[in-house]
Amino acid sequence: MSFDLLDLPEPDRPPVDPEEYLRALMRWHFSVETGSPFWLRRAQSLDFDPIHDVRTFGDLRRFPNVVDEFRAVPVEDLVPRGLTGADRVIAGVYESGGTTGLPKRFVMFDRWMEFALGWDESHYAALGTANVLLVGPSGPHMFGEFARRRARRHDGMLFAVDLDPRWIKKLLERGDAAESERYVEHVVDQAAHILSTQTVGILITTPPLLERLTRRNDLVETIRKDVRYLCWSGAHLDADTREIFQTEIFPGIPLKGLYGSTTILGMSRERDVERADGLAAFDPPSPYIVFRVVDPETGEDVAFGERGQVVMNHLTKYALIPNNLERDHAMSIEPPAGWFGCSVADVGPVATFGDTTVIEGVY
Amino acid sequence: MSTPVQAAVADQNAEQTGADVQIDALGPDGPYRSRRRAPLSALSGAPVGEISQVPALYVRRTLAAMRAAPVLPIAARLDALDRAAELFATATIGGFDLDGYLQLVSTASGVPRAVVSVGVEWITDVLRSQRHTMALARPNGAVDAWRDERTVAGSAVWTRRGDLFAVHAAGNTPAVHGLWPEALALGYKVVVRPSSREPYTAFRLVEALRQAGFPPATVTLLPTDHDVADILIHESDFAIVYGGQDVVDKYGAVPTVLTQGPGRSKILVTADVDWREKIDIIADSVSHLGGTACTCTTAVLVEGDPEPLAAALAERLGRVPSLSPEHPDAILTVQPVAAARAVDSYLHQVAGDARALLGGDSIVDELPGGGAVLRPAVHLVDAARAPQLGVELPFPCVWVGPWSPADGVAPLRDTLVLTAMTTRADLIDALLDEPSITNLYLGDHPTTWLRPGVPHDGYLAEHLMRTKGMIRSDVPRSTSEPVPPTD
Repeated sequence: MSFDLLDLPEPDRPPVDPEEYLRALMRWHFSVETGSPFWLRRAQSLDFDPIHDVRTFGDLRRFPNVVDEFRAVPVEDLVPRGLTGADRVIAGVYESGGTTGLPKRFVMFDRWMEFALGWDESHYAALGTANVLLVGPSGPHMFGEFARRRARRHDGMLFAVDLDPRWIKKLLERGDAAESERYVEHVVDQAAHILSTQTVGILITTPPLLERLTRRNDLVETIRKDVRYLCWSGAHLDADTREIFQTEIFPGIPLKGLYGSTTILGMSRERDVERADGLAAFDPPSPYIVFRVVDPETGEDVAFGERGQVVMNHLTKYALIPNNLERDHAMSIEPPAGWFGCSVADVGPVATFGDTTVIEGVY
Repeated sequence: MSTPVQAAVADQNAEQTGADVQIDALGPDGPYRSRRRAPLSALSGAPVGEISQVPALYVRRTLAAMRAAPVLPIAARLDALDRAAELFATATIGGFDLDGYLQLVSTASGVPRAVVSVGVEWITDVLRSQRHTMALARPNGAVDAWRDERTVAGSAVWTRRGDLFAVHAAGNTPAVHGLWPEALALGYKVVVRPSSREPYTAFRLVEALRQAGFPPATVTLLPTDHDVADILIHESDFAIVYGGQDVVDKYGAVPTVLTQGPGRSKILVTADVDWREKIDIIADSVSHLGGTACTCTTAVLVEGDPEPLAAALAERLGRVPSLSPEHPDAILTVQPVAAARAVDSYLHQVAGDARALLGGDSIVDELPGGGAVLRPAVHLVDAARAPQLGVELPFPCVWVGPWSPADGVAPLRDTLVLTAMTTRADLIDALLDEPSITNLYLGDHPTTWLRPGVPHDGYLAEHLMRTKGMIRSDVPRSTSEPVPPTD
């Protein structure tokens, strides 16, 4: 049995039929020869047979959300047995933010990571050689490794200032706003030193940290002079703030977002066409990563233009993470023609998630 | 800042339809209409328009621009305040003449038209009185400006402790905007976060001040949600915050925040005074401004049997008619029916063992045109330390209880205005010495009495200003480029 259509896309190969792809993917993850120990074990307690019963994108909803099990499962068990050779090269083990409880662990494969990194490659096409500054989480998060690979693609150096989002959340949870202020100032000081002594062409950070940087007029001047691309990710950016960044603070410098999650091992890219409402819109790489937006009460998909809670699916031979209800709320928007699921805009936090209050800090 | 917008609420039809009102931010570069806006609605639920909700980034950039802006010289400030008084009281601002504005506030917020009118007069008086108020608030030993001759021999100079003053306003009565103009007179730059229920007065006042000559970066209006409002409060040098006990608890310990919480104003009548002659003053103190001001009487303590006074008070207040807020004779506040019912239910909960003489069944009186009047309530309690005496609600709600000399000052603590109807000089001494009584009125003065120049919660200058010692030998000569005159 051939699994060729599970290979990541290449320039001169015709695109796959999404449903055919999905059926092959079920065979891959639920066959003894190719599936991961985790899924082969987990299949025994499913009340359906994925190979026979999952024929369409809609059928994926039969899967339970298993990501909570990723808090404790040994990561070796997440590796599909069918992966060999270059497919089997591991880029790293990354953890979710830990916003809603203990972190979950995911295995990132090198080939997939290169594909995920390239999803918004067109945005960087004209930049040429550039150094990259990451002001954001490295550590157990995938953000830092993506920045390192971004620098490599531009023949540039990576400067990285780490930010520990879990520590900030702890400070905010216990109401220590003053200490979190000091911590963030400490991060900004480090970024300021790099910006003022080095030439940074690509700045990757979160909207709250970008806002922090802009409180210092000298940094705004330096960024305007040197930085040719601003990449934001990891938090909400409202239309008004986005417009002020674009038109007043950094006119002429592309400001593009990535919306993703460790639980999908990748990101959706910001759409190039501006919306009338000023919101950033995000397209995931269907059929490898697919979004739905659901009514949190009923679990049913909301109509395009409506808000709801984001459900993410990672559907590759490297991992199967179906039907994962994320913490974010977003507006569902029409995806490009022929794509599974939906695209999203106006991504923001939910007030509460289960029993844990979600705190949106600087991450 | 980049969105080109006309001054808000300019639509010719706004007064008729009321549905096109836009309350924009008034920023350092002019009006700003954010994409994120909250609906404004009338008591009936009918749409009035929208209010911008500016993001944190806009707030911080505004504060930075305000800090960078020069201080207007004192003479220019005082002249501008005079002109602003005239504009605020008479001009067409944002498409609304005075009458249209009064109508808008009463239909949209339920504050009776007459109460809004009194608020406008009060704010106008305050704007006109700043010369006088500053002179009264300044310590005797201090001069206004270092150029004053007295500094040659050595004297104090009155100086600002900071630069930026934030106002987190309330919408219960326009009169809340009568305190902060003092900060502008003192040379502070002022940023106002309006109430989302009644942003119209703040808009009218800020716009009037700007038209009168205050540069946009010296006085701004930033409508925001509560989270962003916290940024204003924390990142300004000083702030005044209106709200309930929750606000007092939240900011009470922050030395730069002046909280305007429940006033718990009271009247004390001792046995040497015949309350029958004073009943109108007492009733007025309860119902003035619809009972929504922190100076309205919340509790009356009577030496001897309080019941006859309570009964007379119930009789007077029971006669106040229920009218729509636009009616010229209306004094009672109107709120959406659900909000009125919530107040009523809370009243029943807190009343406990107090005996209702008025409003015991329900204080909610629904109006045919939408909304419900909050009718007065009078309750009798049996002890001077009854907890109900400290319960301040946003309508004419008064608790009447007994007091005896043996109770002393204790039941009268934590009072914004105490009117003492007494002839006992030793008691007056004790009341004046009590630190938690903010203002003491004697005799025939309602707790709601106010006059520009007489402090309401101290002079604002007590918080915002300090003295610095100065001695100098001669007048420094100006360089070729004269330094802008300080004040």
